[in-house]
Amino acid sequence: MTRILYLAGRRVNSSNVPRSALGDWMVRKRYTSRLCKCNDFSVSRVFGTDKNESPVYSVARAASRRRKKILRTVLAIQEKVIVRFFGGRKLRGPDQAMDRRTFVKRTCVGSAALFLGGMDGLASDDEVKIPPPPPIDVREAPLAKRSPLGIPGLYPGRVVELSDRRSIVGNRVSQPIVRQMLERGMRELTGESSARAAWAKFVEPKDVVGVKINPSGAPACCSSPELVREIINAVQSAGVPPRNIVVYDRFGYEMDMGSYQVLMPPGIRVLGVQDDRLDASGYDAEIYCQADFFGEWETRSYMASVVARQVDKIINVPTLKDHSASGVTGCLKNVGYGTFSNVARSHRAPISFTNPLIGVMCSVEPLRSKTVLNIMDGTRMVWHGGPLTQNQSFIYQAGILLVSTDPVATDTIELGLIEKKRQEQHAPSVWERNPKSITANTGEFYQDANKNLFYRQPGHIAAAGKLGLGESDLKKIDHRQLLMG
Amino acid sequence: MSRETAAFAATSPAETEWVTLLRDNTRAGGQGAPPIAALSRARWQARIGASIRSAPVLHGSTLYVASLSGKLHAINVETGREKWNFAAPKQIYSTPSPFQEKVLFGCDDGKVYAVHQDSGAKLWEASTGGEVWASPVVCQGTAYFGSADGHLYAADAGTGKLRWKQALGGRVYSTAYAAEKSIYVGCGDGHAHSLNAATGKIQWSVLTGNGIDSSPALVGGTLLFGSEDFFVYALDANSGAVLWKYETGLGISSSPAVADDVAYIGSKDGFLYALAVQTGELKWKTRAGEVVTAPPVFSKGVVYVQSWGTMALDAATGKLLWRAGLGGSVQGAPVIAEGVVYVAGNGGEVYALE
Repeated sequence: MTRILYLAGRRVNSSNVPRSALGDWMVRKRYTSRLCKCNDFSVSRVFGTDKNESPVYSVARAASRRRKKILRTVLAIQEKVIVRFFGGRKLRGPDQAMDRRTFVKRTCVGSAALFLGGMDGLASDDEVKIPPPPPIDVREAPLAKRSPLGIPGLYPGRVVELSDRRSIVGNRVSQPIVRQMLERGMRELTGESSARAAWAKFVEPKDVVGVKINPSGAPACCSSPELVREIINAVQSAGVPPRNIVVYDRFGYEMDMGSYQVLMPPGIRVLGVQDDRLDASGYDAEIYCQADFFGEWETRSYMASVVARQVDKIINVPTLKDHSASGVTGCLKNVGYGTFSNVARSHRAPISFTNPLIGVMCSVEPLRSKTVLNIMDGTRMVWHGGPLTQNQSFIYQAGILLVSTDPVATDTIELGLIEKKRQEQHAPSVWERNPKSITANTGEFYQDANKNLFYRQPGHIAAAGKLGLGESDLKKIDHRQLLMG
Repeated sequence: MSRETAAFAATSPAETEWVTLLRDNTRAGGQGAPPIAALSRARWQARIGASIRSAPVLHGSTLYVASLSGKLHAINVETGREKWNFAAPKQIYSTPSPFQEKVLFGCDDGKVYAVHQDSGAKLWEASTGGEVWASPVVCQGTAYFGSADGHLYAADAGTGKLRWKQALGGRVYSTAYAAEKSIYVGCGDGHAHSLNAATGKIQWSVLTGNGIDSSPALVGGTLLFGSEDFFVYALDANSGAVLWKYETGLGISSSPAVADDVAYIGSKDGFLYALAVQTGELKWKTRAGEVVTAPPVFSKGVVYVQSWGTMALDAATGKLLWRAGLGGSVQGAPVIAEGVVYVAGNGGEVYALE
């Protein structure tokens, strides 16, 4: 049966609707009844599934008008809050409970950070000017007190970079070498004499520990199962039982590509939050970021339930990768976009609003407080074609691990590494704003390092820094480089 | 044909049957079916509403399809209409396995279920300590299946009563090969094992460089499988000695299908490989997609494989004969019977193509 959808009052066949839009629809569908009960305005975009509109639709349209009015009010308030931001006032105390005004403040920090970054606001004549991002509203879990382990963690501004060429040979990752690198990195980060003591600073035996991997790009480049197994061993050495360890990501089918289910040790959980793009059952309806970037149907992105309700601590295991929309995908994007649903809507070629959405998502509680450690897998480095490329021409066997509690500082180092590699390969900077660099042909993008689908937004890292998520100033980053072999 | 595989020759299903992964327990990939020329139309298409990650199987006039909604669907192959469905508590990644009047399958709730093939009524269930993604294999009245709890189980196929279980050290997602006296299976810790079919005692183990997702095939005393360490292995089935190994470009979770002394297997490097069973010599390799994780199947001179679509290749040369952009699954293998190709996709669609 062909499902008839309504988009902006126009009848369309579902087969012609982009996948992301269908994803939007499914998320909305799952939460409709719940939203109606709480009189949420977002129900406005529920649409009919047959020739006639759903009964809820006309009611919803009235609600939509009310919501637009509220948004106009929000925008007016925004200007006043920007003034406060520039004045250096603290925006949000750690014990402050979430309310709708929080939306306004978070929105303005994101927008202002983009403005302060200056890259797009000061575009020259031959560069494109990126439109400013829309307001981003946040509804988050109220916390009694923010955890000191949470982002930017126990060691703000410190990044330990470990290099060992033996860690990847013939495109195979060596688990024994990775083990040595990880132990050395943890000791260097914490100053402890043993790796076990170092891990004990982050996890306790009673914790349920989530290991957030990055399987997108599998099998060519993803969080190495060899590294993930070593992290699991280390977490167990701190007394956490296997049943309390969850290796997870948003997309189960991407984890299948990496064979994580097979390759992890018995006893731990391996979880894909959603099984396909239409599955919204693994998300928490109470915690979300909301923004209308391109007039999409679903303007909310919901937090994964495993993060919101199941795990106590998160070990973030991103990869060292270029990203066509965000510039790089590192700690911030892996844990931010990898936690919320419906995030691909933030970039529609060639425009990307990954800045500031990535940082805003990382600041949402309880994600922020639970993310205690970042271990970036740089055994392979994707310097073009990320995040999904399988083209080995753009994958460099770098043999690097980055260990830190500060995702902003780590991603700043990552950005430098990728820029350096692109320069060596005579590829344009990830900050490129020349319209001639943009292609709508994905085949061309995957074969030509001079072409990209979007104007990348590496400024999302500095924007996250301005949200208090870490240090983005290279001069202030305690970058410790250890050459092991 | 070895003594071990001979047990199955007498019990091979009729040509129109496709009762387990790669048609039957010989893992020959359905080589008896007549080849299919370029597909011209869909006889029917069914949408079952949830992603399908396993292969469909055919028994009589019924196609059995399991989905991540936790349902096993029985579909009439003439009309594409559902006869019945059975709702399990959790997701199903396991390829169903018809045996006598039953259909067996594993589930993420840690159980293997047997339901009646005509009604979908539950006949028995057997518990393990982890998810069961492997397809239960039935041999001489015993069902063998691995679990994510790191054990291989043997249960009475008639009642579900446990006969033995054996700890293997890693997750078992590989579907076992059940020969007359021995069971062969790969393990997530990188070991390939041979176990005594009657007792579960480990006869030999061989360590590869990474986990094994691939389901082994046995041909003339040679055990074939792929490993996530990028290699295709050929072992002596009696001793476990490595006869040869062939290196591909990335890890292997595809399973080998064997016809005319040639083993066909896909790799995550995107190629389908044809290797001589005796020597490991490369006959040909053809790019089949970005990633190939599904096992290939045959019909007289034609090899079919799914990788975000279904394609048919000349088995002798690897030359592409046709490609259909349907059946988006990269895990499932198609079923070929009486001029019809049945494919299932990640999006929850099932097609009968002719």
